[in-house]
Amino acid sequence: MKYALFSLGLIGAASLVACGKSEPPAAPAAPAEAPAAAAAPAPAPSQWPELRVAIDPTYKPFTYKTDAGEPAGFDVDIAKALCDELKSKCVFVEQAWDGMIPGLQAKKYDAIISSMSITEERKQAVDFTGKYYNTPSCVVVKTALNLGAEAAAFKGKKLGVLKASTQEKYAMGELKAAGATIVPYDAQDQVYLDIKSGRLDGTVADVVEVNGGFLSTPDGKDYSCAGGRIPVEFDAKYFGAGAGVAIRKEDTALRDALDAGIKAIRDNGKWKELADKHVPGVDIWGS
Amino acid sequence: MTTYLLSILQGLLVTIGVALGALVVAAILGLAGAAAKLSPYKPLNWLGDIYSTVIRGVPDLVWMLLLYFGGQILVNDIAEALGFRRGPQINPFVAGVLTIGFVYGAYMTETFRGAIMSVPKGQSEAGWAFGMSRFYTFRRMVLPQMVRFALPSFTNNWLVLLKATALVSVIGLADITNLAKQAGAAARGQIPGAAIIFMAFAGVLYLLISSISLYLLRKAEQRYSVGVKRGNF
Repeated sequence: MKYALFSLGLIGAASLVACGKSEPPAAPAAPAEAPAAAAAPAPAPSQWPELRVAIDPTYKPFTYKTDAGEPAGFDVDIAKALCDELKSKCVFVEQAWDGMIPGLQAKKYDAIISSMSITEERKQAVDFTGKYYNTPSCVVVKTALNLGAEAAAFKGKKLGVLKASTQEKYAMGELKAAGATIVPYDAQDQVYLDIKSGRLDGTVADVVEVNGGFLSTPDGKDYSCAGGRIPVEFDAKYFGAGAGVAIRKEDTALRDALDAGIKAIRDNGKWKELADKHVPGVDIWGS
Repeated sequence: MTTYLLSILQGLLVTIGVALGALVVAAILGLAGAAAKLSPYKPLNWLGDIYSTVIRGVPDLVWMLLLYFGGQILVNDIAEALGFRRGPQINPFVAGVLTIGFVYGAYMTETFRGAIMSVPKGQSEAGWAFGMSRFYTFRRMVLPQMVRFALPSFTNNWLVLLKATALVSVIGLADITNLAKQAGAAARGQIPGAAIIFMAFAGVLYLLISSISLYLLRKAEQRYSVGVKRGNF
């Protein structure tokens, strides 16, 4: 009897504080979905009755969650507008950035609408629609310096940039040659902290990012984008084609439909309405 | 502010659920692994060795991604070969519990193996001399005595496992870490220092769970050390 108690005790020790907690199901139990007839192009009301859209809700004002836990932001509204165009029902799937493309390939969802920049590297794994927005970047320094946007203006200035960003590429390629000192950081927030502490004269960053993260805060009140934005002629060389919807390579019909959808919401004013709502005062279509 | 903190609090249940589920899986696999490694049968030894070497040698995050995404692609391929349009979706909670349980089972294997070896051989031999079977001897003689030796390392493994559950953020589960990250991003510009505040709150929650479990495990250790004299000089 005593031994039996001891044995029970071990099981207790093994599951420790587990008392009263229900164990999770032991096997992946999701039932197989019935093979839908919509697999082949059909003249149904919609070819895509349901569109599963992945978002990483940590990029305000493009993708974030309200305090009520609802997905919100420009990306989310664009996704809804595109779903309307495709006569589909949008289902949002949350996915951390690291697993975004693997999840698309594993068919956890059908499209990524989460401010993903169209780059050559990503194009090797997935396919993109055309851009649905393209925000400019700018060099932020003290407003009182009254500098223009051209690279030569920043001679002798010490600027922080986010590592492995398109802004870093531009800063290293143009500003460094013009005599600025470029300091790479692991996170954009650290750049702002070092501007505050006086270690940096400014930063090169996405206009929308720097507005939300710095310029609109008390720390950023003496700063502004020099000359508005980095000159347009550098866009192709450093900044890529903007953010697009990512889909699997074989889903060409979906890509074409989404491209048509982006064109439609551009034409009917829906896009402009959403851009003004989420990112007022900045042209986020780009050149 | 309060709504965000409450939303992070909701992640507590997911974190505790994944952690406890994984602990059960790990304890079962650990006992099986230890039995295999100590078994007189060579093939079982090899199996145990392969398990603890391969699992402990690869980062948890890699296993997580491999099982959740790689496993899903495999399931899809099989389903498509059978004529279905889409394979059944691997549930992220199940994937998290199984992956973390699977990984920490390897650490538990070593914990339990050491504990079993700490029980004097004479104890088992006494059991066999009475005509008890191997399994019966293990269950009634070795198991109750090894708990005391296993608990300190078990406690250690549990604390590491608890924090490893933060990895389920990667596969989209709304655990403490994931929700804190989201709240920090969402409240940016509204609450100064939001990201740091919410991450600190998440840290406090983890500390809370680990403190409570440390207390309970210390109690368990005391209970299983009844009748054992502490060394003194």
